[in-house]
Amino acid sequence: MGERRDAAPPPTYRLRIAPMTETPVLELRGITKQFPGVLANDHVDFDLRRGEVHALLGENGAGKSTLMNILYGLYHADEGEILLNGKPVKFSSARDAIQAGIGMVHQHFMLIPVMTVAENIVLATEPTKSGIFLDHAAAAKRVRELSRTFGLALEPDTKIQNLTVGQEQRVEILKALYRGADILILDEPTAVLTPQESVELFEILRTLQREGTSIIFISHKLNEVLEIADRITVLRRGKKVDTVDREGATEEGLARMMVGREVLLRIEKPPAQPGDVLLELEDVHVRDDRGLEAVRGISLQVRAGEIVGIAGVDNNGQSELIDGITGLMKLAAGRVLIGGKDYTGGSARVMLDEAGVGHIPEDRQRRGLVLEFTCAENVELEDYRHEPSSRFGWLFPHRFIARARALMKEFDVRGGGPNTRAGTLSGGNQQKLVVGREVSRDPRVLIAAQPTRGLDVGAIEYLHQRLVTERDEGRAILLMSLELDEVLSLSDRILVIYEGSIVGEFPPTATEEELGFAMTGGKREKAPAA
Amino acid sequence: MIDPAVAEVQERPAMLELVRDRRNVGIAGIALGVIAAWLTLPPVLTESLVAPLIVAAVAVAAGVYAILGNERRVGWGAVAAGVVGAAGAALAVQSSSDHLHTVFVWGALLGATLRFATPLVFAAIGGMFSERSGVTNIALEGMMLTGAFFAIWGADKTGSWAAGIVIAMAAGGAFALVHAFFAIQLRADQIVGGTAINFLALGVTGYLFISIYGSNGTPSLSDAESIPDITIPGLNHIPPDRFGNFLNDAIGQLNLMIWIAIGLLFVSSIVMFRTPIGLRIRAVGEHPRAADTVGISVYGVRYGAVTLSGVLAALGGAYLSIGFVHSYNENMTAGRGFIALAALIFGNWRPFGAFGAACLFGFSSALAQRLGPAYGSQYDTLFQALPYVLTLIAVAGVIGRSVPPAASGRPYKKQ
Amino acid sequence: MNERPPVDALIPPDEVPPGNVPSVARRLAFYQRAGGIVVPFMTAVLAFVMGGIVVAVSGHNPFTTYWGIFKGTGLDWLIPGLHASDAATNLQQTLIVATPLMLAGLAVAFAFRCGMFNIGGQGQYFLGWYVAVIVGSTFTGLPGPVLIFLAITLGALGGAAWAGIAGFLKATVGAHEVITTIMLNWIAIWVGDYLFGVNGPLQVAGFNPFSETISDKAKLPVFWGDPVLQGLHIGFFIAIGMLVVYWAVLNRTTLGYEVRAVGFNPEAARYGGISVRRNYFLAMAISGFFAGLAGAIDLLGWKFQIATADIHQSQIAFVGIAVALLGRNTALGTFFAAILFGALLTGTSTRNDALTIFSPELAGNLSLIIQGLVVLFVGADVLILYLWNARRKLRAGPRKAQA
Repeated sequence: MGERRDAAPPPTYRLRIAPMTETPVLELRGITKQFPGVLANDHVDFDLRRGEVHALLGENGAGKSTLMNILYGLYHADEGEILLNGKPVKFSSARDAIQAGIGMVHQHFMLIPVMTVAENIVLATEPTKSGIFLDHAAAAKRVRELSRTFGLALEPDTKIQNLTVGQEQRVEILKALYRGADILILDEPTAVLTPQESVELFEILRTLQREGTSIIFISHKLNEVLEIADRITVLRRGKKVDTVDREGATEEGLARMMVGREVLLRIEKPPAQPGDVLLELEDVHVRDDRGLEAVRGISLQVRAGEIVGIAGVDNNGQSELIDGITGLMKLAAGRVLIGGKDYTGGSARVMLDEAGVGHIPEDRQRRGLVLEFTCAENVELEDYRHEPSSRFGWLFPHRFIARARALMKEFDVRGGGPNTRAGTLSGGNQQKLVVGREVSRDPRVLIAAQPTRGLDVGAIEYLHQRLVTERDEGRAILLMSLELDEVLSLSDRILVIYEGSIVGEFPPTATEEELGFAMTGGKREKAPAA
Repeated sequence: MIDPAVAEVQERPAMLELVRDRRNVGIAGIALGVIAAWLTLPPVLTESLVAPLIVAAVAVAAGVYAILGNERRVGWGAVAAGVVGAAGAALAVQSSSDHLHTVFVWGALLGATLRFATPLVFAAIGGMFSERSGVTNIALEGMMLTGAFFAIWGADKTGSWAAGIVIAMAAGGAFALVHAFFAIQLRADQIVGGTAINFLALGVTGYLFISIYGSNGTPSLSDAESIPDITIPGLNHIPPDRFGNFLNDAIGQLNLMIWIAIGLLFVSSIVMFRTPIGLRIRAVGEHPRAADTVGISVYGVRYGAVTLSGVLAALGGAYLSIGFVHSYNENMTAGRGFIALAALIFGNWRPFGAFGAACLFGFSSALAQRLGPAYGSQYDTLFQALPYVLTLIAVAGVIGRSVPPAASGRPYKKQ
Repeated sequence: MNERPPVDALIPPDEVPPGNVPSVARRLAFYQRAGGIVVPFMTAVLAFVMGGIVVAVSGHNPFTTYWGIFKGTGLDWLIPGLHASDAATNLQQTLIVATPLMLAGLAVAFAFRCGMFNIGGQGQYFLGWYVAVIVGSTFTGLPGPVLIFLAITLGALGGAAWAGIAGFLKATVGAHEVITTIMLNWIAIWVGDYLFGVNGPLQVAGFNPFSETISDKAKLPVFWGDPVLQGLHIGFFIAIGMLVVYWAVLNRTTLGYEVRAVGFNPEAARYGGISVRRNYFLAMAISGFFAGLAGAIDLLGWKFQIATADIHQSQIAFVGIAVALLGRNTALGTFFAAILFGALLTGTSTRNDALTIFSPELAGNLSLIIQGLVVLFVGADVLILYLWNARRKLRAGPRKAQA
């Protein structure tokens, strides 16, 4: 386990240079990284000055995380060099990066739930008594000191599993600081936070900045970037577009750089012609895996021929709501009515087969597809048990194939035929396969959760168009998306979910500001996107 | 704003007290259940069932109280102890006191319990290191068998039991290293790999045994080739006489390896829970990616832990062949490695828990050994099956689930 | 977050080869082409070569040893004009052993297909023994075919029930099936020891730890060889039939579809309206059914009676693990792997008198070593692929090998 080195010096030793000095503490020059079939980074330049927050902005798949993983020693660049305080360095592992004073807060926290805050923080650089025993007291003391200095309010002896997500993130930050990080990388830090927690995070980042820490802030949210960053670098398809100062930068300008075209996609659609109520929820309550109430009394209606969008920050009960409707989670209370009939407590199978609910799941690889199955087998995931796919328990594979062939043609699934393994298709084609399957079952109610997550523009456009077509076929569509654009452009009505409750209903003409305000519970004085 | 983490800590002492109380009540309940049966056995030999039944009822009540306080594991243990205690008492009352006197010689029983438990303790603690680091080890059986053979071979060749032990450790470590290489480097399924090691160990030891010793079996060991017993003189002079005799029977003449096992128990507990090494092992077993990102070598830790598990399991085997039985025959471990695995699970992947389970299993073997001659051999088989039944109940979660380390059995891929 | 190289999606996580490979796609193609035959074949060859090295190191000639083992298997019967006079009896013996191996292999394979490792085939096999011996020695008034049918069916169901305990615990409280089936193995052993041991409730009259012998009517008819000297019984055809059943259930029924879906991706199965718990239970019970069937057929085919010593010695269902792994959980693969191991066990058994220069006791342990190596290598087909590729690189010249 290598040499035992004592914990990093406490922050009092930190250089207290005036912020915004012009010498870059870190410079990336001409970083290029090729993955099979994808040029993830194409000669990207990036520099970081002491005590600044430098945002790295880009769409999903723009190459932000790859760049940072290279900086953090997890990937190796094919070309280019990294300079730390003007000297070229080479990191072959995260360990090298840590020793050079770089800390990273991953999007998925690297914390051990059954261990305490202090244990997680000191791991691998533990203080010891007589060189052998773990010095719990010293560890706790240092954690408490650091926590006080940066206003993190963490108690060293609490177990991670008893913390909130926001607190866990603070543990991650403290972990990096404890190791003496003066460069901190935050990978989409607000994606998992409630608005209140995001405000607190920004406070912490400003404190860190004052103490001389330089911060790289990865995000694809414009408003956040404009709120916290001093400079902003925009990546698009692996290439650096530009680096701009916050002063003078506008959301519109950044958006143009990010997506490379003038106007964000807005779909042309005829006005909705709502019919009967097909989906109705009455005071639905759902508990999450940990037994906490994630959905707190939601009532809503979706009519035939309309798309109702649910907007909200991640982790506000959207997933649990959808699982409650589709029978994948039990309701703690409330009723679910499909086409006027009570289906409360129905299993997933009942919801699919009897109630006529189609469900485009949030995560196509984890839930929507069996990647090892062929496309044909995947198309039958919900129908293998019905005629004509099977009879008295006996399958007719040639019928699978015929159906899959027609479906793949109709929904433009490319990259293979009915006998291709689903795992070999690209993300967009996988999603088309899932959407095709759900739509072809002719559901009365279609639940679409994040239907275009991680897809390229072409696939997004296709799927959006398709959802509108399905609406006009007379289906009731409930759309849940974390992308505000998507909700705004597709929905006929918009419901905003916040902490498990619906806090407002808006017409599709609502502005992002109005929605953003509601999505944060309306508690902040200023709308985040102002 | 009150920070939830701080708030929780402030509430904690009172909560902890309450939980502790219930836990203690539950433990007392288990003790009472044992006492209920003990009352009907020598030396007390109560002939009426009244007193044992009352004690057993109290034990069950204590258990229920603990269960209501969410101390399910201990609580159900107390309830079970009460019920089993009452049943045992009922059986004992019907039995002749002569029989009871021949079976329940407590000092000898305790000594035998330790003798039977020792190989299990070594292997279970070895298994703990491996599993705590995230590598499932069902090959303890094979590694133990390897240790048993190479200990006697080494002692026989060198004429020294110490050299035999060292050779056994090296052989067990070598087999463990093979398991580690396949499980860690090649990311093969760890259950499959473990099964393979068990086959291999059986084949290799059998092959060597026959080609080296043939049909004559291993030669009888000289004193220098056997692990010595430690005699503690004067124990039987400790008053009162009965207690002195009990101590003398129990611990007066135990093998060196038994004391080493007890020492190992304390050392491994300290290493696992009081040192940075233990913290890192547990981190790797719970969340290897997290350990990797702070610069711990996941592969290094796992290699170390798995190899150690083989070395320790081999020690258990060495005790078996040159400390306990003083000879070797094919497949002599006969499932003890799996009982050690059971003890590890039953003891919730903790050294003292595993030790307690090993002692319970050892006691059932010791009892079986003495019950047979007195009551007929069909009864001892029931005690032989006890460890497995108890472990099945433990993993079924009736008495509080046994939960393995989070990453146990999952190969780790470096980025 | 979506910047993972998309090729990762091409390969399920357990198949991702280690290290930085130049072209993952090429590798995948190789997998699909070669994965079927090459890996198991090379595994077996490698295991036998290493076994040969063991033989050579211990001072014997591996070629004559393997030749002796081969003669003992009776496989030379297939070569007209070249076979020894006892080849037919040897081959019958090989197939008698291969019969339970096929079924035990299917037991392991079926559970594998549902994402579970049934390491408890041995215990389920014993349940097949126990039930068959009890039925076969109790209901002696029934006509032969009925008695045989009853004994086999109930024996198989006994195995199913025993495995069902593990399946039930997995489905309800999530207890890991490896742990529960190991425990159930030993419980089955001690239950048998108790039932048929001295003073046990089902011990045959006398002082020996044996069960009753089944009625002659319950013995499976022999169709090849001398019934008195253990000829090949019709259980062989039952096993072949079960291979077909296995294939059909898995690939042609809704049950098999569900089992495979749960095995590959339980979350997706649940989303598709499949009860994951029900399938865990069912798959485990069916797995136990195959193992129990193996036990019942062995008992009615040639054992006829249980001695408690046999209970402690039998390893047949553990060999089934090797069979399933080498056969890649397919029906056809299981057939060939069972023949291979049946031949190996027969060729290395003490009854093989063709092994003149090599003690049969040694040979028995050699077969254990080979089994162990096969399981070890099959569990790590990455290693085999690595060796295969290294061979190709060597052939392609040293310059490329460095790249």
